[in-house]
Amino acid sequence: MTTRILATLVFLAVLAAAPAFVPPFEVRVLSLFCFWGALSLAWNILGGFAGYWSFGHTVFVGVGAFVPGVIVAKLFDGGGAELMPLLVLVGGLVSAAFAGIIAWPLLRLRGIYFAIAMLGVAQVTGELSAAIEWIGGGVGLSLPDAVPAALAPEAFFHYIFVGLLALTIGAAAWVRGARFGQGLLAIREDEDTARMLAVPTEGYKIAALVLSAFLTGLLGATYGFSLGYITTDSVFRTDFSLNMIVHALLGGIGTIAGPLLGAAVMVVLTQVVLGEMLNLHLFATGALVVAMVLLAPQGFLGLWRRKPRAQREPGP
Amino acid sequence: MIPLLQTLLDGLVLGGVYAFAAVGFSLIFGVLGVVNLTHGVFVVLGAYAALLLHEVVGLDPILGLPLVMAALFALGYLYQRTLIAAAVERASLVASLLVTFGVALMARNLLQIVASPDVRSIATAYSFAGLSLGPLRIDLVRAAGLLTSLVLLFGLALLLNRTAFGRAIRATAQQPVGAALSGVNVRHVHGLTFGLGGAFAGASGAVIGMMLPFTPSSEAAWTLNAFVVVTLGGVGSPQGALLGGLLLGVIATLTAQYVGPAFQNAAMFLVLVLMLLLRPQGLLGHAFAASR
Repeated sequence: MTTRILATLVFLAVLAAAPAFVPPFEVRVLSLFCFWGALSLAWNILGGFAGYWSFGHTVFVGVGAFVPGVIVAKLFDGGGAELMPLLVLVGGLVSAAFAGIIAWPLLRLRGIYFAIAMLGVAQVTGELSAAIEWIGGGVGLSLPDAVPAALAPEAFFHYIFVGLLALTIGAAAWVRGARFGQGLLAIREDEDTARMLAVPTEGYKIAALVLSAFLTGLLGATYGFSLGYITTDSVFRTDFSLNMIVHALLGGIGTIAGPLLGAAVMVVLTQVVLGEMLNLHLFATGALVVAMVLLAPQGFLGLWRRKPRAQREPGP
Repeated sequence: MIPLLQTLLDGLVLGGVYAFAAVGFSLIFGVLGVVNLTHGVFVVLGAYAALLLHEVVGLDPILGLPLVMAALFALGYLYQRTLIAAAVERASLVASLLVTFGVALMARNLLQIVASPDVRSIATAYSFAGLSLGPLRIDLVRAAGLLTSLVLLFGLALLLNRTAFGRAIRATAQQPVGAALSGVNVRHVHGLTFGLGGAFAGASGAVIGMMLPFTPSSEAAWTLNAFVVVTLGGVGSPQGALLGGLLLGVIATLTAQYVGPAFQNAAMFLVLVLMLLLRPQGLLGHAFAASR
């Protein structure tokens, strides 16, 4: 256990030191990895541990990014750059509160129905953010430039994304080890039995969704600041929801290293190998998903471990 | 009063086509338990096939339906017997959700490359003609589309309820093992059902192509639509799809007319979520094992 913690810390330290050694483009690729890895790991807290697959997690990225955008536009008239940490935190908190509100009806649904209902929530929230003029997602919102003069923008956001990745890894590891996490695994394996054995299933599921939404909201808010200008189309994105699932699926759902490994593979594949062929990204992602399901349903980690597991797959 | 009646009429016409577009999804979900996320791809493929027939041979989309249906039937059958069956056997029904999702992404990408991402529509000779029913008005294309949808839905209901093949399909849906013991070739029936679902999706695509514009990325909207229709009406039967489709059509047009076009999807999904909470098996549905 201690070796694992040590290895994770070394890994994060190396990531954090990157801007000092590698050129800006590679720093951006590494930041992207941190962003995707953390998003997928946050999705995994509900989708991997509890087996509730959300197909609309981008809604929390969107809410997380829009909350600072609206606050800046209404209260600070485009200013407020020095308040960025606070605004990001508020983005995460509002995202978590939103999750808490939708959790009560949605988490009564199981399997495919939960997945599709989340897809619907993401779709509708996105459309409303564009349709309601007061929010202004159709026209777009600017976020102030918070980069200190001493740092290059890509380095500044890289440090934040590494920090958020560390936070997400810490949260996921804590959940995995805690009684709470064991309860989520029990829900994944058999919710009715878990309930019968006095696991507070309702409370655990809501807590998992809220925690996952909080982390996703922080990432979304930071992403919004890194873009500098957000519209509905740039943060409420179906491909965000999809990528969170695909990364976890590739690496190994329900593990902690899995989503990170999946994110690393996909970032290398899309940014480096297929960097020039933007029009083939969808095809490559689709082909990879099909191949993984048919050839390695437990992800790369599953191939490596070859641990016999129950025949029944977690998820919807 | 007249505007309200006109809106209701438009909603019912649109709803008939929604029902037609969803019935294949409903059949596959009800019989195989597979949520076919490539459903919208079949719809869009049908639309492109009809467009191709119309532009190259000059065949009217409705007259070309048998060709489109035959082609997509074959495609659906092969797709089920190879990819879907493999995914279900090796992993699980959940895996089939992911496989169909992956295939949908690939198909959309390929269509964008082959057919270009441009918005297309099929313009027939009678595209701009209309019929008058007293003070109400209905486009000829929409009337023809609705009629085709209803006839084919009725045909499917007859096939399912009155023929030996239909009985085999219903038996497989209820109890695959029992059906196999009674001499039904379950794998073959699964393939044929998937083919039938694909054929109906394609036929609806040809009709939709005359009424509404489409692009390769429309597939996602048609898959979601089918899901909403099936949730409203109930899984596995043409009657359920018809009821769900009509409801959805009326909700969509009423919202667009009286609340605003931007809120159409919001209203649809609100109804969907309410429905999932109150009556997950749909208005006419049985509590199928696959639907829980």
